[in-house]
Amino acid sequence: MNEPVTERRLIEACQQGDREAFRQLFEAYRDRVWSVALHFTGDETAARDITQQVFLKLFTSIAQFRHDANFATWLYRLVVNLCLDEQRRRRRFISFDFLRSGDDDDSEIELKDWRAPLHSQEELFTRLEISGAVKAAVKQLSPKLRMAILLKYFEELSYEEMAEVLGCSPGTVASRLSRGHRELARRLDHLRDKLKPGE
Amino acid sequence: MFRSHVTNQLAAYCHGELAPEESRCVAEHLMSCQRCRREYEEIRFGVQLVTHLRRASAPATLWPELELQLDHMEAAQHARPEPARSLFTFRPLVAAGVALLLVTSLSLWFYFRLTRPAWEVVSVAGQPRIGSRAIGTAGKLSLGEWLETDDSSRARISVGDIGQVQVEPNSQVKLVAARKSEHRLSLQRGKMHAFIWAPPRQFFVDTPSAVAVDLGCAYTLEVNDDGQGLLLVTSGWVAFEWKGRESFVPAGAACVTRPALGPGTPYFSDSSDEFIGALERFDTAKADDAVRAAALEKVLALARERDALTLWHLLARTNDNERGLVYDRLAKLIPPPSEVTREGVLRGDKQMRDLWWNQLGLGTAEFWRLWKGPAPNR
Repeated sequence: MNEPVTERRLIEACQQGDREAFRQLFEAYRDRVWSVALHFTGDETAARDITQQVFLKLFTSIAQFRHDANFATWLYRLVVNLCLDEQRRRRRFISFDFLRSGDDDDSEIELKDWRAPLHSQEELFTRLEISGAVKAAVKQLSPKLRMAILLKYFEELSYEEMAEVLGCSPGTVASRLSRGHRELARRLDHLRDKLKPGE
Repeated sequence: MFRSHVTNQLAAYCHGELAPEESRCVAEHLMSCQRCRREYEEIRFGVQLVTHLRRASAPATLWPELELQLDHMEAAQHARPEPARSLFTFRPLVAAGVALLLVTSLSLWFYFRLTRPAWEVVSVAGQPRIGSRAIGTAGKLSLGEWLETDDSSRARISVGDIGQVQVEPNSQVKLVAARKSEHRLSLQRGKMHAFIWAPPRQFFVDTPSAVAVDLGCAYTLEVNDDGQGLLLVTSGWVAFEWKGRESFVPAGAACVTRPALGPGTPYFSDSSDEFIGALERFDTAKADDAVRAAALEKVLALARERDALTLWHLLARTNDNERGLVYDRLAKLIPPPSEVTREGVLRGDKQMRDLWWNQLGLGTAEFWRLWKGPAPNR
């Protein structure tokens, strides 16, 4: 509804089958979709499958998108459905190993993100330690709480938008976020002293 | 007045999802209800933790893989092969690409210009100006713009939907940031009153020698032409900070900030002129100056029980010899809890200082430490 002009144009071009426009749309959303999928599954292969599926579905169904809806909300509904499908599939066939390796790659990404010169080595490692612990704790949340947290922090959706994506009321969103945060606080109580002012 | 608990609203409060009136009610309730405050602190800690999650970059190979699948998909849909593309078919494509790029750039430029954040400003008296134009009865202060009042004008700024700031005559205020999690003004000179009902650490005011960080409060901030600032807190808490030096200022207290020195030691506004003068001499004298030693002696001699706030801050701003004197005086005014030892405090044990703070009758250290982290170092 309130999508920027450029995004509207891109979507319209995609609806005409314009592959370049689709690539631009992919570039705009790929990291967000990837981040949700990766943190939800904790598995790069699964995240890769989900991200590809999301954009394939998007490509095949974008003609049905009407501009009176919010595009991001519409896209995230695809992400949520595919993540939950993956979760159900894994539960049936594979035991979830939330603390598996694969986080090593993420650490590299974060090392780059933290721009080493601004921080002492000690600070950098503390941040990585906190970040690793938070990732592991988020993976241990129930799927509903986990997804609420990821949508809030990676996508910065409002409660109304999250309610639309998750198919529930804003009150339920508030309740899931509240439980999710309390559970994280309980699990990571030992990190209280390590958090710096304002963090 | 009895008011029911607000636990169901705490997550929404943290995320700024409540209407201003609801948010204000929750903030007021939190000031008085320990149970909800505990819940809030848990959620807030959870929020702090989650901010450590970083968005990851998708692998670069994702698009080529996806494109391959799209090709397969399209090939399956159109059994008829596509005509071979010649250089001539690419030329219009290149032209179209350039045109699209131009349109995109122009649209982006207009979009960002039109959607640049701005806060409502109304004139309370006279003719306040934004940039070079007088605002009349109302106007908008956009990011990067200055609001200026002369000796007969005053203005009121709506700080997003989290509070209000009244700008007094002869003041100069700039809008520095207008994000959901960071509302920031710069007060270059003059005087302003702020009333903020959002969760702590969402509203900041930069001054030439310190940043005032709102911890849920109402306060007055004044900056003179030399860049020296005075903070007076009327409700809640404000943290005054500059280059790692911090002062926690509760309702009824004040704090001076000075260029190159940063925030001074806070004191209650009802302290005697003699006490405030001595504190000023202590804050501005050199470390080994005799003036400083005399000033500290005076501060300690004049300190009342209520001035434990000042003495507690001095514990972190004194050298080893001075700290012993401060410890002894503070222990007379407010005896430390059994876990706090003289040796521990003298060696700078922050946890002990926090435990002692809890005895001062100013609430628990956890309440503001939750947002501010460890105790001040200086």
